[in-house]
Formats: sequence, structure tokens, C-alpha cells
Amino acid sequence: IFVSGISASFILLVLSLVLETQALTPTHHLTTTDVARLQALLSQPFTDLKSAYYSVVGLSKLGISVADAATCRFIKSNLDPSSVESLFFAAEASQALPGCEIPVSNDTRDLLLATVSEDSTASQIHQSVSALSSLGLPLASQEVVSALKARISKEDNVLTIILALQTASRLSQQAELGEILEEIEDLAARLDDLGGVYLQFEEGLEATALFVSAAYALSDHVDMEPPIDQVIQLVNSIFSKKSWDSLSEAFSVASAAESLSSNRFHVPIIVSAQGPAAISHSQPFLRLQVTNVLCKPLSSASVLVESATATSSKSAILSQAPFTLREYVGVFELNFMASQPASGYYQFSVAIAGDSRFVANHVELKVKVSTRVSINNMDLSVVDKDQSIGPKTTRVEYPAKAKASFMADSHQIFAMTFQLVDETTGVELTPHQTFVRLHNQKTGQEVVFVAEPDSKNLYKFELDTTERKTEFDSISGTYALYLMVGDATLENPILWNVADVVLKFLDEEAPSTIQAKTLYTPKPEIQHLFILPEKKPPTVVSNEFTALVLSPFLLLLILWFKLGANISNFTLSPSTVLFHIGHAAMLGLMYVYWTHLNMFQTLKYLAIIGSFTFLAGNRMLAQKAVKRYSNCFIFFFLVCKKTLFFFPKNSVYWPISIRFDTSAVFFFFNQCRIFILLCVDLIVTLLCAKHNLLNIDNFIFMKNNKWETYNNL
Amino acid sequence: MSNSVISVISRFLEEYASSTPNKLKVIDAYLLYIMMTGALQFLYCLLVGTFPFNSFLSGFISCVGSFILAVCLRIQINPQNKGEFLSISPERAFADFLFAHTVLHLVVINFIG
Repeated sequence: IFVSGISASFILLVLSLVLETQALTPTHHLTTTDVARLQALLSQPFTDLKSAYYSVVGLSKLGISVADAATCRFIKSNLDPSSVESLFFAAEASQALPGCEIPVSNDTRDLLLATVSEDSTASQIHQSVSALSSLGLPLASQEVVSALKARISKEDNVLTIILALQTASRLSQQAELGEILEEIEDLAARLDDLGGVYLQFEEGLEATALFVSAAYALSDHVDMEPPIDQVIQLVNSIFSKKSWDSLSEAFSVASAAESLSSNRFHVPIIVSAQGPAAISHSQPFLRLQVTNVLCKPLSSASVLVESATATSSKSAILSQAPFTLREYVGVFELNFMASQPASGYYQFSVAIAGDSRFVANHVELKVKVSTRVSINNMDLSVVDKDQSIGPKTTRVEYPAKAKASFMADSHQIFAMTFQLVDETTGVELTPHQTFVRLHNQKTGQEVVFVAEPDSKNLYKFELDTTERKTEFDSISGTYALYLMVGDATLENPILWNVADVVLKFLDEEAPSTIQAKTLYTPKPEIQHLFILPEKKPPTVVSNEFTALVLSPFLLLLILWFKLGANISNFTLSPSTVLFHIGHAAMLGLMYVYWTHLNMFQTLKYLAIIGSFTFLAGNRMLAQKAVKRYSNCFIFFFLVCKKTLFFFPKNSVYWPISIRFDTSAVFFFFNQCRIFILLCVDLIVTLLCAKHNLLNIDNFIFMKNNKWETYNNL
Repeated sequence: MSNSVISVISRFLEEYASSTPNKLKVIDAYLLYIMMTGALQFLYCLLVGTFPFNSFLSGFISCVGSFILAVCLRIQINPQNKGEFLSISPERAFADFLFAHTVLHLVVINFIG
């Protein structure tokens, strides 16, 4: 365990180092449509003061000002001067609206000042301080700081500390905000890292976004860099959700976006290619959009290609080449085709400089350079197998088709050679797909072969009719020959009907019509075969054997009669009679068990009848024994000695009625012992069975008076 | 050779008839009956097949078990063996015989299906 733990931690350490050395870029960011959606959500008509606050202040954070007199009237009319929360919403919203003033009375001011104390909740303190600051009223910063500190020490949860940070950013800069500033670091440590990509609070998106806006607001206020080094992971978490459930969530995302785009320390940048990152002769410019998280272009940035290497050959094409900015569009572009790259994929390493605040300003991009292909020197020929007649080659130019059709039978080979070159540079290309397709127009058959290039990049295709007859199903006829050329880096994939080829196969054993492969027809139905009952012997045989098996009983009776066995000694004492009745009852119970009962019921009845029979039988046998040994003094003496040894006279083991039947008593005690042990054993077995610790199915064979084949056992 | 076998057998039968007490002969007749019943069951199984195999097994084991218990009873009752069974009186032997048979029949009826 320890070794695996150590090796796991070592691997994790190595991995983390590797991950840190790679520059992390945001995987999730808001696009312009997302920003528009956020704006639309915040622009919804508001129903109360709270939603008005979220809308107005949220839109102002997105840079959109709502200059609407109706909004100002709405705020003023819905204001409740006796509630701190209402004052907070109204004050903040009115500050975002130009020319909207909230009338303040002395009572309002006193109410707000009174709320600043240790007994109010953090949100109340935040709301009153913000309202005081927005309304331009004086406040005692030191009091606020001490109230906040007391609050944080009482309630240590994330939202309290975030509100404290927000509040502290509204206080004067002379106040002692050092301790509250330290809370940023502690709170940042509480963020959960998800796979190194996301960093968020377990309380959710809103808490994370509010933390970001609060931390940067306070850091800007005191002009100290916040100790947040995983800004990109925060960006991923906050901007991964593209549709928001509530106004408060949208508001928190908008304020986080605003603080991340305009704070003094960390500005994450988003670099994305405009359209697909593909370059060709018709489209020689690589265009990049460089924006902040709110999708606003960054004017002060300068974009530079640090290196561009081909992925296949790893040779560097460009180094330290700058992008130029197209002013009106806000897009950076680079004419990559000017460096005349060969077609293929290139790995670009782009650096964005211009502001020391930029975070994630090294981006890796994969750029595709595509080209047009042209086919040169397409030569078709029919070669004799024994090489006796020289080949006749026909040259075909793309996109024309060969005028004459070519004939090939079993003695000949049809051959095709061609070259694929780049249209502009003339460099030989080897695209991924070079197929030769033969299509029989009459039957609809098509066979596809691959044309392979040789060492000099010359493509060759040979068709030997005898070798390939299985693919064609030996069907002779006219086949249209197509050449298909395709690749991801080709702009003009080619499907060219080059010629018609008449193929003659020797043995025409194929069927005249070809049936399409019936893959999806219904299969024959499977008829379920129920288990046939086992073959039983005829009833006559069974009956005969039953009689045969019962016949030895007659033999027994005859033998006993001959031996003179009799029941003359049968005493009619009650115990004897009862014993025989009990014994008969037990045998009857066996029969009833066979026909009706299960093991548990049988044992229940058996216990009752059995104990009764046992007592009666014990009595009876004891009497018999006494009768037998009543004349034997020595035995009596011996038995007395034994019983005296084991059973003292005044012990409980001496039942009064058979006090003199000493041997019987001894016998009784032993019998009891054995019987009790056996009973205990049986009871334990059955309890186990009842509680499914044993397989009770083995006890039950006849269910519903039907045979269960013993195969189920 | 065969002569001596026949003479041994006849002598054995004579001794048996004369010296064994009646009680033991009764038990011996019972043993013979049990054995024949078991043998006939086995014959049926050989000839006709083992279709309800559990029934066959239960019947056969019933015969075998009864035979064994009867043999035990015979041994314990035999007055010539009294020295080895001092603590077990014939009545006790018979009571054990009955009790063991109860258990055997319980199992047999359970298994017969």
C-alpha cells in the first residue's frame, strides 16, 4: 500500500509539473452570442426593486447604460425607506443611472449607520455600507472594519467573507484593511480544483463569480495584487455555463466578467481564430481575434508568432513574425502563404504582448494549409501477360474521358499510372485517399481498389482479371473506371471518370442477376420448445413391479408365522396402548407429510406426537425391563449402585412414579441427553434453513403435487 | 471342492437353526425381507430406468437404512454380546431402534418427493 501510495504521489507530482510548464489557456469563454444572451436576460422587464437592481447594475457592468426616466421613477416609487435592503438596491441602481437621485432623510441615514454593528449579518453590513457610500453619506470605516472582523470570526462561510471583501472595497483607503485583505488568500485556498481545468467553490457558480468580482474590487481599491494564480481555471468555471437560471446568477457572471476585463492586475485574454484556422491560396491570411472575457477587442495588444513548425517534419517555417492589426475589425492577421508553406498541418505558438496584466498570453494553435491538386501524366495501357505485344498507352487529360474503351481479358493486364502534384508549386503530393473505382453500369456492382505510390511518388494501378475475379464475381461487361482523390488538406477533391474498361472473365459461373445482400430481412422464427416430459415406463410395468416389491412382506409374515412370533405378551397397560397409538400416529404423520405438509409443519407435529410417544414408550419399556429383571438381585444391586452413583436420591432426576425403576431411570436420562442433542441439532438446521442460510429447496420436492424434475436440484 | 462348500453351508444352516434364539430368528426374517425389497427396487431401476431418481434413491436408502438399524438391534439384543453392551438394555436398544427409524423415515419421506 505504501509503495503504491508513494509511486502515485510521485506520478501526480510529475504530472502537475508537466501541466504547469504548459501554458494554460481558457477552454471556456463567452462568445459574442453568449454576451448578447446575458444582456438579454438582464434586460428583461423588472417586477420589483431587487430585479431592477440586478438589471440596471448588471447592464452597467456589461458597459450598457440604461438611461431611462421610467426606471428611475420605478426605483423611487418602490423604495421602502425603513428597509436596509431596499435602500441598498435603490442606492446602487440609482448610482448606475445617470441623473437619478434618491432623496435621503436623516432617519434613513441613522438607520443605515445603526446597521453597521457586530450584531447585524454580513449582508446587512454590506448593504448599509454600500448604500451609504452610493448615497454619498459619511461612514466610519474603522467601525465597519471591526464589525466585519467580528462577523467573519463568528461565521466562517464563503458568502460572508465575500460580502466582507465587497464591503471593504467601499471603505476609505486609510482604514486598516490588511486583515480583510488576507481573507482573499484564505478563501482562494478553499476553492475546489476539478482536474486542473476548473476551480470553483462547492457553493456554486454564483459564489465563485462573486468572489472574483469582490477580490479584484478590493485589490484594486488597495492597489495590491491579489494572490490568485489560477485565474484561467476560474475563468473556465465561471464562463462554462452559457445560460443562466436566475437574475442573480446572471448578475454575478456579469460583474465577474467586468472585473476580469478591467482590473489592474490580471486580465485573461481569449485568442480565437476567426473561422477555421485554415489557409490556402485563396485565403492566405490567418486571422486571430484577441479579446478580453467580455469579448471586447484589446487595442493595446500586439500579437507575435513565436514559432510555426510543421507537425509532420517538425521543421520551423516561421519565427518571431508579427501579426498586423486590421483597425476597424479588431482582428489580427498574418499572411502565412507568403512563407510558401507546403500543404499540411502546422503548430503555431503565438504570444500576445502589450500589457503586463495579460494572463494566458501564450497560445498554441493548429493551422491547416490546404492546396489544390492536379493530376499529371495519366497513362492507361493494356499489357499482355506474356509481354509479347508491347503496351499501348493512352494519355488522358483531366477532366476528359478516354475516347476508346479498353479491353482486357484473361491474357491481359490493365494498368494505370499517374502523378499527383500541387497545382501551384508542382511538388508531388501523396493524399490520404487515392481510390480506383470500377462500376458496372448494368448490374450496379462496384469494386474499389487502392492505388499505391512507388518510391518516386508515381501512382500505379494494375488490374489482373484472373487474380481479381472473386471481387468481380466473374461478371464480364463494361465497367466505368473512376479515380477518386481526397485529403483533408486538398481543396479540390477529385472524382474523375477516366475511361470505360471491358473486362472478360473466363468462367462465367456467377448468377445472372445479383441479389443485394439481404442483411436486414427478418430471420426465421425460432419456435420455443418446451421441456418435454421424460419418457415414463408404461403403467403396467410400474404396477407389476410395485406388486413385486411388496411381495417380500408376505414372505416376512409367513416366516414370522413359521418361527412362532406372537403378541401373547401384549399387556393392556395404558402406557403400552398409548405408545402404540402414538407410534401409529407418527407413521400416519409420515404419510400426511408425503402428501400435504412441508418439513416445518411435520417437525412441529412430530415434536408433539413424538414426545408423547416417547414418554409412553419409555414407561412401557421401563415396565418391561423391570418385569424382566425383577427376579435378578445381582442386576438390581448393580443398577442401584450405578444409579446411586449418578443420581442422588433427592435429586430432580428421580421421577416419583418410577423411583424404583432404576435402570429405566438411567435409560431415561441417557435417552433424554441424546434426544435433546438431536433435537437441538435439528432445530438449528431448520432455523438456518428458515433464514435462508441453507438451501431449503432441497427439502421440498413436490410442489403443487407436480413433479419437479430432479434436474433442478 | 464343491462338496466341502455344500457341507459347510448345510452345517451352517443346522447350527443356525439350532443355536440361535427365536428372537434373533425373527429379526433375521425381517432382515431378509428388507434385503429382498431393496434388491427388487434395484432390479427395477436397472431394468426400467432411473426416471424418478430421487424416489429410487429414497426407497433404496430406506431399505439400506432399515437393514443397518435392524442389524444394530440384533447385535445389541444378542445375549452372547451382553459383555460389550453392559449399559444398553434390550429395551434401550429397541427404543434407539425406534427413534433412529423415525429420523430415517422423516428423511426418506422428505426425499421421496
